[in-house]
Amino acid sequence: MILTGPEIHRQVCEGNIEIAPFIYDHLNPNSYNYRLGPLVLTLDRQGKPEGSPHDLREQPLILQPHRTYLGHTAEMIGSRRFVTMLNGRSSVGRLGMYLNISADLGQLGPSHQWTLEITVVQPLRVYFQMRVGQATFWIPQGLIVEYMGEYAKRSDPTPSLDRGGPC
Amino acid sequence: MILTGPEIATEVGRGAITITPFLPSQINPNSYNFRLHDELIVYEEEILDPSVENMYTSILLSREGIVLESDRIYLGSTVEVIGSTQYVPIIRARSSTARLGLFVHVTADLIDLGAVGRLTLQMHAVQPVRVYPDMEIGQVTFWRTQGERVQYAGKYQASTGPVPSKSYLDWSSPSNPIARSRQ
Repeated sequence: MILTGPEIHRQVCEGNIEIAPFIYDHLNPNSYNYRLGPLVLTLDRQGKPEGSPHDLREQPLILQPHRTYLGHTAEMIGSRRFVTMLNGRSSVGRLGMYLNISADLGQLGPSHQWTLEITVVQPLRVYFQMRVGQATFWIPQGLIVEYMGEYAKRSDPTPSLDRGGPC
Repeated sequence: MILTGPEIATEVGRGAITITPFLPSQINPNSYNFRLHDELIVYEEEILDPSVENMYTSILLSREGIVLESDRIYLGSTVEVIGSTQYVPIIRARSSTARLGLFVHVTADLIDLGAVGRLTLQMHAVQPVRVYPDMEIGQVTFWRTQGERVQYAGKYQASTGPVPSKSYLDWSSPSNPIARSRQ
C-alpha cells in the first residue's frame, strides 16, 4: 500500500519518515516533491568522476545527452518503517530528464541525501533546488531489517562502489 | 497492494476508476493495456529549459505511424481517459514495447489521485522505432492507499492530448495541489 500525501505528512510529524527540510507546499496527493541538491558530478567513460563536482549554487548547468551525471536530493530522506521509492516528476520527465537509471527502489534505513543517476534525452539546463522528482512511501510486510550499507551514509553524489570506486 | 485485472474491471464499473473507453480485451491479470493516441509533440528548442515555456510542434499520426528517432523526446498521450479518486495509478511500458527499446515515460510513472485525463507519455527510443496510432503501448496498474485521500487539482488536470512541461510555473507561483483541493 502507498501512503497518501496527508499520511506522509502525519508520519513525518510522528517521526516515522524523515524529510528535512520538510515543506508542506511540496506535498502531492500521494508523494512528496524533492528538489535537486547543489552538487552534480559528471562521469567519464569508466564511470569515474570527471573533475570536481559542479556547484549549481554558483550557476546552472546544461546537461548533455549520452552522459551520466550524479546529482543528489536537496532533502535528507529516509524511513525505517516505510519503503521509499524515488520517482521522477512528470514536469521534468516531459523535458526528457531521467532521475534514476531503472533504480527507483530505496531500502528501509537511515535518512540521507539520495544520489540521483541523471541522464537527458536532449540538452537541458538544470537549476539548484528545482523540483525534480517525487518520493513515495510504501507499507512493507514482514520483519524489518535496515540497510546499513555505505551508500546510506553518503549525502554527496556518490559514484558506484562496485569496482573499488573512490571512498 | 495492487489490484488484479478483474478488480480493475469491478472498480471501473463502480466508478472508483476511470478508463474510457474500457475494453475487456485490454485487461491483463494485474493491469490494463492503454493505447497510443494519434497526436505527438516535439520541442523546437535545441536546449530545453525548465524555467521557461519551451516552444513545440504537434505531429498528427497517420495509419502508417511514425519513426521515433533517438536523441529526441516525443510527448504522446493515451487514447483512454484514465484516473482514479481511490487508487494510485502507475504506468509502465508493455514488455513488448520495452523489448524494442522504447521508453513510454521518463522516470515519471506515478499519477496523482484524482488526476483524470489522457495521460501524457514521455517517449524515448533507444534506437529508431516505428509507432502506430492505437497500438497498445503501455499498461496502467492501480494501487491501494493508506491515509486520508485528497484529490489532484494541478496544472495538467483534464488533459485531452499530450501536454508539454509546465515546470516554468514552479518559477512564478509555487503550486500546492493539496491546499487547493482539501475538501
